[in-house]
Amino acid sequence: MKLDHSQPLEYSSEQGRLNILGFWIFIGAEVMLFGTLFASYFTLEGRHGSGPSGAEIFEIAPVLFETILLLTSSFTVGLAIHAMRLNNKKAMMTFFIITLVLGLAFLSVEIYEFTHYIHEGAGLTVSAFSSALLTTLGTHGLHVTLGLFWGIFILIQVAKRGFTPETANKSFIFSLYWHFLDVVWIFIFSFIYLKGMM
Amino acid sequence: MKELFPLKQVMGFVFSLVLTAVALSVVMFDMSFAMGMTILLITAFVQAMLQLMVFMHARETEDSGLILANVYYGVFIAVVTVFGSLLALIWGYM
Repeated sequence: MKLDHSQPLEYSSEQGRLNILGFWIFIGAEVMLFGTLFASYFTLEGRHGSGPSGAEIFEIAPVLFETILLLTSSFTVGLAIHAMRLNNKKAMMTFFIITLVLGLAFLSVEIYEFTHYIHEGAGLTVSAFSSALLTTLGTHGLHVTLGLFWGIFILIQVAKRGFTPETANKSFIFSLYWHFLDVVWIFIFSFIYLKGMM
Repeated sequence: MKELFPLKQVMGFVFSLVLTAVALSVVMFDMSFAMGMTILLITAFVQAMLQLMVFMHARETEDSGLILANVYYGVFIAVVTVFGSLLALIWGYM
C-alpha cells in the first residue's frame, strides 16, 4: 500500500482518502433524508386533532440539556481527532469515551422525553403531528444509537491495533458522522422545539 | 495538556454555546413570530457552518471542492423540499 506521509494518517492511503470522500457523499444524502422529514413535520405540525399540540407537551429543560450534551460530545470527538493527529492514543481514547458517555446520556434524556410524550397522550398513532414528530425525533435518535455501537467497535479496534491508516480513517469518519448528528439536532432544537414553544 | 485543546476548537465550542443561548432568547423574551424565526434561521445556519468548517475539517484537503459541492447540493435539495412543501401544502391556502 502506498502511503503519503505528508498527510494526516487517516488520509495517508488512497483508499482512506476515498473512504472519507464517500462518507461525505453519504452525509449529503442524509441531509436530504432529514430535509424530507422536516418537510413533513412542518406540513403536519398544526394537525394535532384531539391530541395535544407541540406547545402543550414540549418542555425546555430536558431539550436544553440534550442540546448541551450533544454540543459537548461534538466538541470532545473533535478533540479526540486532534489527539489522534498528535499520535496521543491515551488522550484520543479518553476523549472518545467521554463522547460516547455523553451520547448515551443524550439518548437517556431522549428516551425519558418519549415516555413523557406518550404519557401526555401524544403516541405515534394519535395525530398527524405526533407521528411526524416522533418519526423525525426517532430517526435522529436511531442514528445516535447506531453511532454509539459503531463508536464502541472503533474504540476496541484502536485499543487493540493502535493508530494505523485504517483505524485512523475509521475514527475520522466516525467523527464526521457524530458532528453531522449534532448539526441535525441543532435544526430539531431550533425548528421543532423552540419554534413550537415560541 | 494544553496542546490537547486547540484554540480554534475551544473557541468554536464557546461560540456554539453562545449561538444556543441566542436561539434560546426566542422563547425567553416576547417577540413577533417573524423576528423569532429570523433569529432561529440565522443561529441554526451559522451553527451548521461552524460545525462544517471548524470541526469537520471540510476545507483541509484537495477533495474539499467536491466535498463542499456535494454538501451544498444536499442542503439545496433539502431547502427546496422543505419550502416547496410549505408553499404547495400550507402557504398557498392561508
